[in-house]
Amino acid sequence: MTEHPLVEMIDIEKHFGGVRAVEHVSLDLWPGEVVGVLGHNGAGKSCLMRILSGAMIPNGGEIRVGGQPVQFTEPNDARAVGIETIYQTLALADHLDAPKNLFLGRELKTRFGNLDDARMLEEAREVLARLNPNFKNLRDPVSSLSGGQRQVIAIARAIYFDTKILIMDEPTAALGPSETAMVADLIRQLRAEGIGIFLVSHDMHDVFDLCDRVVVMNKGRIVGAHAIEEVSKDDVLSLIVKGELPADWSARNLEAAQ
Amino acid sequence: MSDASKPAGFYTLKTLTPGAAQLHKLSALLTLLLLVFGFALASPAFLSVNNTLTVLLQTSVIGLLGIGMTMVIITGGIDLSVGSVLALSGVITGMSVKVGLPVVPAMTLGVIAGGLCGAFNGFVITRLRIPPFVATLGMMLIARGIALQLTGAAPISQLGEAFGVLGNGALFRVVEMRENGFPRVVFPGIPYPAILLLIVAIGAAYLLRRRQIGRHIYATGSNEEAARLSGVRVDSAKLYAYVMSGALAGLAGNVLMSRLVTAQPSEGVMYELDAIAAAVIGGASLSGGVGGVSGTMIGAFIIGILRNGLNMAGVSAFIQQIVIGFVVIGAVWIDQIRNRP
Ligand SMILES: Nc1ncnc2c1ncn2[C@@H]1O[C@H](COP(=O)(O)OP(=O)(O)OP(=O)(O)O)[C@@H](O)[C@H]1O
Ligand SMILES: [Mg+2]
Repeated sequence: MTEHPLVEMIDIEKHFGGVRAVEHVSLDLWPGEVVGVLGHNGAGKSCLMRILSGAMIPNGGEIRVGGQPVQFTEPNDARAVGIETIYQTLALADHLDAPKNLFLGRELKTRFGNLDDARMLEEAREVLARLNPNFKNLRDPVSSLSGGQRQVIAIARAIYFDTKILIMDEPTAALGPSETAMVADLIRQLRAEGIGIFLVSHDMHDVFDLCDRVVVMNKGRIVGAHAIEEVSKDDVLSLIVKGELPADWSARNLEAAQ
Repeated sequence: MSDASKPAGFYTLKTLTPGAAQLHKLSALLTLLLLVFGFALASPAFLSVNNTLTVLLQTSVIGLLGIGMTMVIITGGIDLSVGSVLALSGVITGMSVKVGLPVVPAMTLGVIAGGLCGAFNGFVITRLRIPPFVATLGMMLIARGIALQLTGAAPISQLGEAFGVLGNGALFRVVEMRENGFPRVVFPGIPYPAILLLIVAIGAAYLLRRRQIGRHIYATGSNEEAARLSGVRVDSAKLYAYVMSGALAGLAGNVLMSRLVTAQPSEGVMYELDAIAAAVIGGASLSGGVGGVSGTMIGAFIIGILRNGLNMAGVSAFIQQIVIGFVVIGAVWIDQIRNRP
């Protein structure tokens, strides 16, 4: 492990009028680590992730990347330091096809500055095939694709570029079982490459299967952060629903440690 | 609730396949041919060389406005100010010529004035977050007001021969002197406005299809938030579209005033509707993300020929208004059906 975490969020705050979406949240991520972010609907998971991806500007707090404080005012700032995001809403332009979406904002160009659509198509074909060998509709507007195919494009976009930190906000919500398994493999592979991953998910099975650490949010606060070995699914469920661990948790954990 | 967990079918509701867009353009082209055919039957003079030239001239003004309008509509906006900006630009050019500026710099000044009006529109829309409809409606009054104020509502005439060249000149015109001293036009040539329209259309199509800014204009209109999250500077894309629309309105103003050899502060009223109609008939969608230059060209010719043909057939100006009104509603209606699930 390196000296610094890949990224540190310190005392992050975000409110919308009276709604406190994120309150005094501190969280870090190390290379090759998968951190599960859990919580009920509206707990503030997406807000926290959007702040880290530069899509939302926090009201307070600090973000450090590799130990250096950074200020993100737009998504490009976060991308510039290697933070890629799969948004919960996928963030695809409906009328454009898969290659155009994959390279949106980072188009490949020819020597004369023209769009190099031929090369973008080839590259897209390659990276999409890695995620879904059956992906054929490369020239169709993404509005005509299935939810799963759209999700695959969003994932492809996040891993194509030089990624150091990957934020996945419910990346498998619309995927079938085989695609979900593919994404799980992908996560393991990226972790092995030393990429740090935030995985927002409601799927307890995936979280326990893939994550090294779980962080549970409740009403904008972090109510629990644990290594995956020290909690059970019921413990995490209790954190999500009640905002606290079951009463007998510390006793059980002590027992297990002995 | 998570958006992504909605059933997959949700995403296919707004399906617009390239096939459908192609079909739309094809049917517009067919409409155009039917119009030409119908009007040619109704009045023999319709297909005469002189009338063809007139149609070309009328269409070039609608076409120039329509191209700018198409860019704006693709971003998901609308520009109601083009008719007024056209007048203001023409007036600025006319006044510049009057104070002694040569024609080319004067016309450049007029186009720049149009571009500035567009920049103001873009600023109000992206910075002050005023909806395009309201922002450009304001500019419609502002530009017209300035044009009328500057001229005291009086046309500026006697602008000299050079001023009329752009609107009345033609490439490859062959004129022969007859014995009685009067000239005879052997071949009328290709009018400059038509050439100008062709150049602008090719340039705009290139920008929209082959350049990054074009891609970003489509992305902005397709899903503004997605474009923003993807790193597209959506405000710049919009600003670009409005500046283009304003500048092209300025260019159209110069063509029109040059044609009349008079700067008319009251020219161009309601031209924005022709431009919108041209874009929508050509397949641009008022909800953004869809549209193109070639379609708009077809749309411009449909409007131009409709106006001219009705004129030739002796249909009164009042009835013409009614017809065009229905055509505009019809075009937008088709747009609605297209976007319906
Ligand atoms: N742009 C916004 N404007 C106002 N309120 C917002 C905005 N975005 C989020 N909120 C509020 O912030 C809170 C946290 O929302 P967030 O999207 O982060 O929840 P979440 O944990 O991701 O939920 P889910 O599991 O449903 O995705 C909610 O109460 C939400 O209503
Ligand atoms: Mg969320």
